Amino acid sequence: MWTIGFLIFLSIILGIGAWLFFIWSVKSGQYDDVEGPKHRMLDDDDEK
Amino acid sequence: MLRCDHCLLEFPDREAVNDTIDGHEKVFCCIGCSGIYHLIHQEGLEAFYKKRKWNESGISSSLFQREPDIKPFAEHVTESGNNREIDLYIEGIRCASCIWLNEKILLKSEGVEYARLNYATHRAKIRWDPNRTRLEKILKRILSIGYIPKPFSESAQFRIQESERKDLLVRLGTAGFLSSQLMIYSIALYAGYFQGIDPGTKRILELIAMLLTIPVFFYSGMPFIRNTLHGFRHLRFTMDSLIIIGAGSAFIYSVCEISAGGEVYFDTSAMIITLILLGRYIEAAAKGKASETVKRLLELSPRTAVKFVRNQETGVDERETVLLTSLAKGDLVEVKPGEKIPLDGKVISGKSESNESLLTGESRPVRKIPGDEVIGGSMNLYGTLAIEVTRTGKDTVVSGIIKAVEDAQAHKPKIQALADRVVGIFVPAILIIALVTVVSYLARGSSLHHSLMTGVSVLVIACPCSLGLATPLAVLIFTTMASSRGILIRNSEVVEKGARLGHIIFDKTGTITKGRPLLKEVIIADQSLARDHLLSVAASVEYMSEHSIGHAICAAAVPSFPVTGFKTLPGKGVKGYVQGRRILIGNRVLMQEEGINMTPLGRLDESARYFEGQGDTVIFVGWDGEVRALLVISDIIRDEVPETMDSINAMKCTVAIVSGDTDITTRSIASQVGIKETLSGISPVGKRAYIAGIQKQKQRAMMVGDGINDAPAITEASVGVGMGRGTEIAIESADAVLIRNDLCLIPYFVGLSRSTYTVLKQNIFWAFFYNIAAIPVAAAGVLHPIIAAGAMAASSLFVVTNSLRIRKQKGKGIIACGP
Repeated sequence: MWTIGFLIFLSIILGIGAWLFFIWSVKSGQYDDVEGPKHRMLDDDDEK
Repeated sequence: MLRCDHCLLEFPDREAVNDTIDGHEKVFCCIGCSGIYHLIHQEGLEAFYKKRKWNESGISSSLFQREPDIKPFAEHVTESGNNREIDLYIEGIRCASCIWLNEKILLKSEGVEYARLNYATHRAKIRWDPNRTRLEKILKRILSIGYIPKPFSESAQFRIQESERKDLLVRLGTAGFLSSQLMIYSIALYAGYFQGIDPGTKRILELIAMLLTIPVFFYSGMPFIRNTLHGFRHLRFTMDSLIIIGAGSAFIYSVCEISAGGEVYFDTSAMIITLILLGRYIEAAAKGKASETVKRLLELSPRTAVKFVRNQETGVDERETVLLTSLAKGDLVEVKPGEKIPLDGKVISGKSESNESLLTGESRPVRKIPGDEVIGGSMNLYGTLAIEVTRTGKDTVVSGIIKAVEDAQAHKPKIQALADRVVGIFVPAILIIALVTVVSYLARGSSLHHSLMTGVSVLVIACPCSLGLATPLAVLIFTTMASSRGILIRNSEVVEKGARLGHIIFDKTGTITKGRPLLKEVIIADQSLARDHLLSVAASVEYMSEHSIGHAICAAAVPSFPVTGFKTLPGKGVKGYVQGRRILIGNRVLMQEEGINMTPLGRLDESARYFEGQGDTVIFVGWDGEVRALLVISDIIRDEVPETMDSINAMKCTVAIVSGDTDITTRSIASQVGIKETLSGISPVGKRAYIAGIQKQKQRAMMVGDGINDAPAITEASVGVGMGRGTEIAIESADAVLIRNDLCLIPYFVGLSRSTYTVLKQNIFWAFFYNIAAIPVAAAGVLHPIIAAGAMAASSLFVVTNSLRIRKQKGKGIIACGP
């Protein structure tokens, strides 16, 4: 019983963490340009 | 600096690639240009170099050298800490490499802190340190690599749309995350139902499930709740009310059952809301994409004009670029060839022709000399004009048409989507069924609690959550397929409207025809002459002409003879000497005046009169006292039109042409493509009235057009289609846009919307089917969460797979055209 309770608690904490991460990603504009990243990853940025 | 013989670009001497071709010394800027020069030379196509009408490189060098006009940008600069920031729209971006280049060049510039371009919108955000660089330098830098920066201001509407989309995404993400958590506990509860479960554990799981559902229902579902309450006040049942009835009753039922030890439906409640949100998000995303592309078709920059301003000190007129809105009556503006005339006005100096077809439908260019009126929005063709502005703002011709468009928009009836019509009947029906269930249970002596719970369970099962996906998914596939062929769907309602079209109405000039005069026919009088030779002579003489007819002849042949003594005779034609012969090209009057014998023409004169009777222009070519050939110049029909008409006829739609041009021209074009109904010499408002007349008889009409004068009719029509290369106003009032001006997309579009509509109807039927089938189970009082979940899964699966079928139907009843 105690293990189930702990696991439920853990899953909810992890879930909330993922949810907050999602909210942050929307707010910081990660979804504004969904076309770009696939091209950008091909850039050679040696100098940076 | 040297100039490349192929591309005409200037380049430093040390980079020169020298070459000898047939004894001529040539110099190129790179190996590539030299290779192409060789290739052209080998193929005997050198005429290209003579024929090209520019003596500068293909990319206008003025773009590189031009000093950026900083004024329109200045107001868009914002402060961000110690730095300045601006949003720009960068014109000329074609591919990912352009973006890469712009970003890298900007970031390497002194003082630029941040530069990033959006791939989808071509917008750049640039941040710089004002102490180390200036905005002017940055703009110059962009210009120097061949792109044109333009000030970008987000419209208020766009900003609202964007924030709504973001809000929807957060609600959907939250609902999706919570629902997936919720399913873990629901599965545990299902397992408990089959295998037995300790009541204490069951209650804990149910309580957790409730905690997870609360935010889904009250946060993610808030827009639905708000709309439902609003609708109930007016006794209107929409999709939103069905969702809230379904999800709400499932939630309330479950909360009551926790204490009673029954089964809970939290998963149903959360899933309904999640799936509907997903449907809404798909819809919003598809809509946003289309409006982005449309915006790119339209000119984004504030429109400018070149105004003459008198310098007080020197007393000389100086040119200054000003915003169109700042022009006043009496101002003098300069319009170069190929530019749009900014406002209505009067020609003060210069000679040119203007293409007014987009405003009036008149297919022939109109001659403009000092004193003539010009219409704002028409295209100045061949000469530079100085124009005095006579009308501004609301008084211009274009403003009058825009007013008619707005009027049509305001009166456009909004049709209710099929799903909404079904829901409007369905919601009251299930409310009645639920009520009957409660009453009959009470009549049979059941407890109030049991009767009520059974009634609520009817509501729980009745809500088909895949209904929210049924329309958006079909529409999404429809818009994706349409845009891959080159049709932009701006308004998803066109699926339902396009499926039941009865009439298709085309504009003539620029839609059915190419919209500019071209050489249609050559009739040789002197049989000893070869067609190519004759055309080449004619083109050589006309090469210097600034007249639309000259351009039409030059476009059809290669001028390869040197011409001396060229002279234009206004209103008659041109003359010039080729190999010592005096060549005359012009109308009958010119021939007669120059002593060309017209009498032995006979049969030729007959055909000349035949073509003139059709509204074409007939030009005579003569020398040494005789007519050598007739050239028929006309606005010719697009190549794909006959094919298009065949497939439209196969679809049993009535076709008509409406045009502002003369009756003769319109009729002759119509008879050539097999259209019986024509309406000519008609004003923009008349076109709209014609469409309205058809639609009054409960018929649906499609209007296809490109001009400003078509815009009111395009707005009025059930389905308005704009040509992508047409005017902004036509595109903006259209529901769908043909990006490449390819008319055979029209039958494709109609066919696709018909098959999509069929799939859509099936989707809606099957979305309801499983849930309606389960209503008797609920009414019998034996409903279980697993049945509800099963119905939900089955109908969603069906809707998704059925929608995908639209992609396979593309071959059916649709002609093959284009790639």
